[in-house]
Amino acid sequence: MESVDLSMTSAIKRAEKQKISDQRAAALRLKNNRLGMNIFQLSWIMAFVALIVVNWQLRFNYSQWPPAGVPPFDLFLPSAATLALLCSSVMVAQALKALRSGFAAAFLVKWRLAIGLGTLFMAIIVYEFLNVSDAAMATQYGNTFRLMTGFHFVHALAILAILCRVYQGARLGKYAGAEQDSWAVEGAAKLWHFVSFAWMLFYAVLYWIR
Amino acid sequence: MATIAVPLGGQEARQEIETVRRPALSEYLRWSVDHKIIGVQYGVTALLFFIVGGALAMGIRLELWTPELDLMVSGAAYNSLFTMHGTIMIFLFIIPMWAAYGNFVVPLQLGAKDMAFPWLNAFAFWLIPPAGVVMLLGYFVSPAEAGWTSYPPLSTLFSGDGQTLWALGAHLLGLSSILGSINFIVTILNMRPPEMTIWRMPLLCWAVLATSIIAVMATPFLAGALTLLLLDRMTGTTFFDAAGGGDVLLWQNIFWFYSHPAVYIMVLPGMGVLSEVLAIHSRKPVFGYRMVGLSSMAIAIVGFTVWAHHMFTSLQPELRIPFMITTMIIAVPTGIKMFSWLGTIWGGKIRFTSAMLFALGFMSMFVIGGITGVMLAALPFDIHVHDTYFVVSHFHFVLFGGSVFAIYAALYHWFPKITGRMMDETLGRIHFVFTYFGFLITFFPMHIVGMLGMPRRVAVYDPAFTDFNRLISFAAFVLGFSTFIVLYNIVRSYFHGPIAGANPWRALTLEWATTSPPPPTNFHEDPIPYEDPYGYGTEAATAYIEAIDMAFDRRDPASAGAD
Repeated sequence: MESVDLSMTSAIKRAEKQKISDQRAAALRLKNNRLGMNIFQLSWIMAFVALIVVNWQLRFNYSQWPPAGVPPFDLFLPSAATLALLCSSVMVAQALKALRSGFAAAFLVKWRLAIGLGTLFMAIIVYEFLNVSDAAMATQYGNTFRLMTGFHFVHALAILAILCRVYQGARLGKYAGAEQDSWAVEGAAKLWHFVSFAWMLFYAVLYWIR
Repeated sequence: MATIAVPLGGQEARQEIETVRRPALSEYLRWSVDHKIIGVQYGVTALLFFIVGGALAMGIRLELWTPELDLMVSGAAYNSLFTMHGTIMIFLFIIPMWAAYGNFVVPLQLGAKDMAFPWLNAFAFWLIPPAGVVMLLGYFVSPAEAGWTSYPPLSTLFSGDGQTLWALGAHLLGLSSILGSINFIVTILNMRPPEMTIWRMPLLCWAVLATSIIAVMATPFLAGALTLLLLDRMTGTTFFDAAGGGDVLLWQNIFWFYSHPAVYIMVLPGMGVLSEVLAIHSRKPVFGYRMVGLSSMAIAIVGFTVWAHHMFTSLQPELRIPFMITTMIIAVPTGIKMFSWLGTIWGGKIRFTSAMLFALGFMSMFVIGGITGVMLAALPFDIHVHDTYFVVSHFHFVLFGGSVFAIYAALYHWFPKITGRMMDETLGRIHFVFTYFGFLITFFPMHIVGMLGMPRRVAVYDPAFTDFNRLISFAAFVLGFSTFIVLYNIVRSYFHGPIAGANPWRALTLEWATTSPPPPTNFHEDPIPYEDPYGYGTEAATAYIEAIDMAFDRRDPASAGAD
């Protein structure tokens, strides 16, 4: 009898030990994911910085910027797109907050809104990309514009696809509120913030810094 | 007396030790997320490319045996030969080779079960073989002939479709490097045991951390530059074409902003290896541990401010002096390391193992490469020897005398851990003698022909340099031959080498506190690191090493040397 009791207690102890080590592993995974994401953001923003350097260095080949005879880009639509993207980023953050507080329905609404605003941003950018004047395309003013918006678009598209995938998963109830159960949502949100941040840099360089 | 921390022990551990076997060879040909398998995959892939790149180098030296064209049909064919040699050695040999050691050793040194992102790790490796194949295919279609630096307009107007494939391959390799480096940084920062503060971390981990920081911050610039090159080549943009408002210097700026730090990506891990090998094989603590760790970081940071010294002849004159000064400053942290290595072995109980010989070889060669580096940083001298063999000699002293010697030292040092068998020390010493003298006689005379004015990257040269070139080529063939000694040694030792045991070098770092090769989970329980990774020469250290011996090997304590 006694030995049975002992083996039972040791089994319980072992199960508890296992539970603690599982929790620790999950916590470490989350910590790793977060640090990895931060490093990725720091790293990959340098690719965007490289293109800013390209834009900046090519300006020295012209006496003025935009070059003589090239009308500057219209500001209205791109600014609207930028606003849409910023709102989208805020929506993503709000949605994550809602999920963490346990409001799954509110999460879905806000996430959907974020995807919608993101799509609007991209539609406007595609329109702008396709409508660069011939005069601009004859110079680096148009060339670098297409380079930078195109490069950004590829990233926005890929990450928007991730947002959609997360939405799909969320509708099936895959993500619980706890931090460790919703890394996919948090990661997607962080990537989307990255898209917004990169665009803010490009927006300033392409439209404002002359 | 300090407490004797023992990594692990007891009956369970012992039972597991009995069952540890080397992974089957087929394991290495498959997708695997085990960092030890991935490390070997990186290493073997890099070694294969080393052989290819070495064969191309032999081709270069054969062509230069006479001052006329003989082996090659044209200057363009020679151009593509050295282009592929440089590209393969840099992107497909040295950088992946450090990823190999980093992958195998770093998690073990940290007492971790695996890297932070095992899947990503495997993905980063599997980008390399296709990238290498794409690059090599380019050689057979219409090869790139713009050198490994691919300056436009050579790479836009004159090179064939191979240049496009070259750029695609380099893109993939850059991606692999970024992903691998993110993994290293997270692993090193997050997965140390609680007892191991960052100031008790082995110096290889410091070096890999610094290398990875450089790689994640600089490699995106390469991606940017390659994107522009691909667009110019394939879609008719004019970023590098002055006729369309572009600028050829744009490439030089963006490319060197990556590629100068990449030089430190190639040599910093070697410096980490050196600190390990010198301390362990001379049984002394590393001299100035903190300064060595911090100097790696200093090199990483200052490395970002020196890129335009590659452009002294094309840069705006007023920018030359600042870059000359930063370039000279970066010699300071490197000098700190050199000083630390000398201080480490000074008065130590040196064992002239093959690993130690190559580490000492590194020190003697790298100091020459470092001094010629400072010479080249001096603007008036650089303009004189710009694009001559002096430059070729300088970077081979850094990358062969530095990186490759360290790769060999690391091979002899960690081969027992990786395979469970010792390498043949006699063959190792023969290999060292051939490599050392082959290398020295190949590359030292290049300083002289360079200063006499022989330009680099030419197949046809002034017949006055024939004697020098014959000497260089002969020594280069000896150097090429020496590679076969180590290849034979690897194969022979893998099958027939003496059993290594857990800790053949009687080291204190954690990778030696498990079986050789380690079990799939690395350690049976969470290991406890010794309080100082290089605290050799104390009774506590001896006790810790003996505890490892007792736990893993039933070795007769009398046969193990005293410390």
